[in-house]
Amino acid sequence: MQDIDTEIKDLIAVIIEKDPADLDPSARFVEDLGVDSMMALEILAAIEKKYKISIPEEKLSQLTNLNDTIKIAKEYLAQKNA
Amino acid sequence: MLNIEDIRKVLPHRFPFLLIDRIVELDPNVKVVALKNVSYNEDYFSGHFPGQPVMPGVLIIEAMAQASIMLLYGSKNKLEGKKLAYYLGSTKIRFSYPVTPGDQLMITIEPVKMVSMAGIVKATARVGDKEVASGELSFAAKEL
Repeated sequence: MQDIDTEIKDLIAVIIEKDPADLDPSARFVEDLGVDSMMALEILAAIEKKYKISIPEEKLSQLTNLNDTIKIAKEYLAQKNA
Repeated sequence: MLNIEDIRKVLPHRFPFLLIDRIVELDPNVKVVALKNVSYNEDYFSGHFPGQPVMPGVLIIEAMAQASIMLLYGSKNKLEGKKLAYYLGSTKIRFSYPVTPGDQLMITIEPVKMVSMAGIVKATARVGDKEVASGELSFAAKEL
């Protein structure tokens, strides 16, 4: 089974249409990868669907790179499993 | 139920591009059902196609997008009274049957993920019992 980091990386790569191998964990979504606000919402929705979690709207602006996104996803996943 | 005047208060679209006639059902944050009556008098039928009138799929998508705005507006109180512009972000729609003059297009929009100024929704268009188009679209509103 893949770990969560890899799963989220692959999921984001599909949405932003990049090769997962080219997705640097600290590359900024908007400035470096050309992600727009609609894609950010799609990323949020895809993570919620995959892990059956609910991430509040306020967190949307914190999805600025892959590392932060994984961190937030894990945080809500841990809450769910707690 | 919302009539065309209610819709005109929300949507900035006007003739010939206001593509929903009535909101049959609006359940905030859950779903909206919009009605579009397709008449032979629609301008595009003269060219799409001569002798074989079919409603262009992109216009079905546009009607879905307009219904989606009604759902967002009806679900988020914060939008009321604001001057807004609307953007379609992406679409993934499959068309199953042609829509022709006389058809009553019934569009159902349900949120996949909706935030205060944007949404991803599941859209289904039916004529009678038949599903003619369905899929997903994302859109956003921006204050002017």
